Amino acid sequence: MWNTGLWKMSLFAQTNAESLASRVEGTWAWTMVIPIILGAAGYLLVQEGIVRHKFMLGLGLVSLAASAVFTALFLPPTLDAYIVFLFCIVATGGGVGFLTAREPVYAALGFATAVLSTCGILFMQSAMFVAAATMIVYAGATIIIFLFVLMFAQQTDLRVYDIKLTNPCLAGAIGTVMMITITYCVTHDGSFPLRKVDSSRLMSEALLPEELQSEEAKIEFSRQKLQSAETGPGIVPQTTAGLGRSLYTDYLIAVELAGTVLLVATIGAIALATKPTAEAGS
Amino acid sequence: MIEYMKELWPILWPTLGAIGVILAFVPILGLYMTFIERKIAAYIQDRVGPNRVGPFGLFQAIADGIKIFLKEQVIPDHVYTFLYFIAPTFSLMTAMFALVVMPFGPVPVEYESGFRYVVAPGIDIGIIMMFAISSLSAYGIILGGWASNNKYSLYGAIRSCAQFISYEIPLGLSIIGVIAATGSLNIEKIVAAQGGSLWDWNLFWQPLALLVFFTSALAETNRLPFDLPECEQELVGGFHTEYGGIKFVLFFLAEYTHIVTVSFLTVLLFFGGWHFPGLTGPVDASLGGMLLRTFVLVAKVCGVVLFIMILRWALPRFRFDQLMGLAWKGLIPLGLVNLFLVAVVLTLGLPKHLLAGTAVLLFVAAMISTYQLQRTLNQSNPRVMNGGIRGVSV
Repeated sequence: MWNTGLWKMSLFAQTNAESLASRVEGTWAWTMVIPIILGAAGYLLVQEGIVRHKFMLGLGLVSLAASAVFTALFLPPTLDAYIVFLFCIVATGGGVGFLTAREPVYAALGFATAVLSTCGILFMQSAMFVAAATMIVYAGATIIIFLFVLMFAQQTDLRVYDIKLTNPCLAGAIGTVMMITITYCVTHDGSFPLRKVDSSRLMSEALLPEELQSEEAKIEFSRQKLQSAETGPGIVPQTTAGLGRSLYTDYLIAVELAGTVLLVATIGAIALATKPTAEAGS
Repeated sequence: MIEYMKELWPILWPTLGAIGVILAFVPILGLYMTFIERKIAAYIQDRVGPNRVGPFGLFQAIADGIKIFLKEQVIPDHVYTFLYFIAPTFSLMTAMFALVVMPFGPVPVEYESGFRYVVAPGIDIGIIMMFAISSLSAYGIILGGWASNNKYSLYGAIRSCAQFISYEIPLGLSIIGVIAATGSLNIEKIVAAQGGSLWDWNLFWQPLALLVFFTSALAETNRLPFDLPECEQELVGGFHTEYGGIKFVLFFLAEYTHIVTVSFLTVLLFFGGWHFPGLTGPVDASLGGMLLRTFVLVAKVCGVVLFIMILRWALPRFRFDQLMGLAWKGLIPLGLVNLFLVAVVLTLGLPKHLLAGTAVLLFVAAMISTYQLQRTLNQSNPRVMNGGIRGVSV
């Protein structure tokens, strides 16, 4: 995520092309596993510590802090790197709060914090539309409806299968493996094509001119666009227009299918919500 | 690091300046809007209004401000303290944060340097960003209602939540027509597209969209025709029953900030922004032109704010089922039809002012059909309304 050159595009990015080139190269190191494992251990300790002992809780928090400090060592020394890092810390805190909170309302608020911080990270990556859509759909509507339900729902009657549903150790293990895989894929040189994560494309695949149809030409074109004056400081790239163009050319069928599914779901919801008209006759 | 900051400074100072303007003006605006509101209320009710402090009572707002800060901070025993304190702060924070993409003066589409009258210029999702942030403002109310640990407060919060989610749909639908016609979500570009003659203002060819937009936006501000969340007759005080002093004022500062936001949006999207007959075309950089355009924009916004305030004393409050019915049965179909018409006009390349006539016709048809529907409902089956109590529904 952090080495794709998208740094260049955010608000406070530095201008020289050398720093970009150094970041596009692979930066994978096995020491990156350490903060992930520390974070997982910290979460498990916090989860247990709330139930058992305050000492474990403190140890878990120390472990999470150590994980954060360790991660900070890998950061490039730019202002936007630190801003993204701050958002990441808040998002992780929200996630841990969501999983460990004892009252459902606080859990929902933790989830909201995590979602909003993720939006912040997306904003820093210039993924404006995705960030705004996430804010409207998840933070704006979904979590508010969650809160709505939680405030009225009975919270006393927890069955065994409700409690056993979450197994922190299993979830922690799966999460650790997933994080290591993602970090490897993103940071390892060549395992992740540059083209796929580059949002600066002028136009969609279908509209690319003839001379840009080969893979090498596309990558070179992306690099040139990244280094051109258009991505200088203070200028936010217009990703939304590109997103719209891509959605309605490259992914037209998927968009139409999703729209149809939503329409069917809406009609189904209306059909379910309508009361049977038995009392009208009586 | 210092050199880095030096390099950033030309980008940074206009942003910081714009943030400073917003931070300075919102509280002052809030105080003086209460004063103007009281004066208008007095005028409509044939009273004098505040006239003791200073000339024409002008310092009343400052006196109120001092009073608010010196009030005793009462924290009821039964509240959830953390959320109780977070709620009003969050309310005001989201209200002010929505102003980030709001131009409060003429912004050239091709900006280079200098003061730009907006915190974040050139964001190409401008209007969606604004909706995203204002969709968060339900948090403040719902948390406040829940943290008060009081049934009336919770009812107020839940009502507000339902109202909020319902009216967000027509709000979004109504502006899609404008966006489709402009081809951009950027507020500055939407204003620039209305920069021709007077008849280019979106008001004159999308009156239906304006109606739907203004009604739903008014509902989002929780103001009087739509102030069910704080309905005194039914809910004591609604979500802010347990709040007093500065915490109460933060909620109301948020409400007034919402009014300003709504007025700005209405002017920018439908009333041509900083354009005026004789003051058209792209923004020139001369100081006089800038100030004149700022004045035009602010004057239009003041007009809309006054209209909203007069509306408060002119319209009665909705009943809750009427409120929901208006959103789901009235505004959403109207918004959909408007969107369809705009799409037809844009696709076929018809003259766009054709829409204005269609919109007026449609509006009249909708009114007649609603009236007829209501009459038949009331006459044939009185049980349908008000849980079957005969006579009340008519």
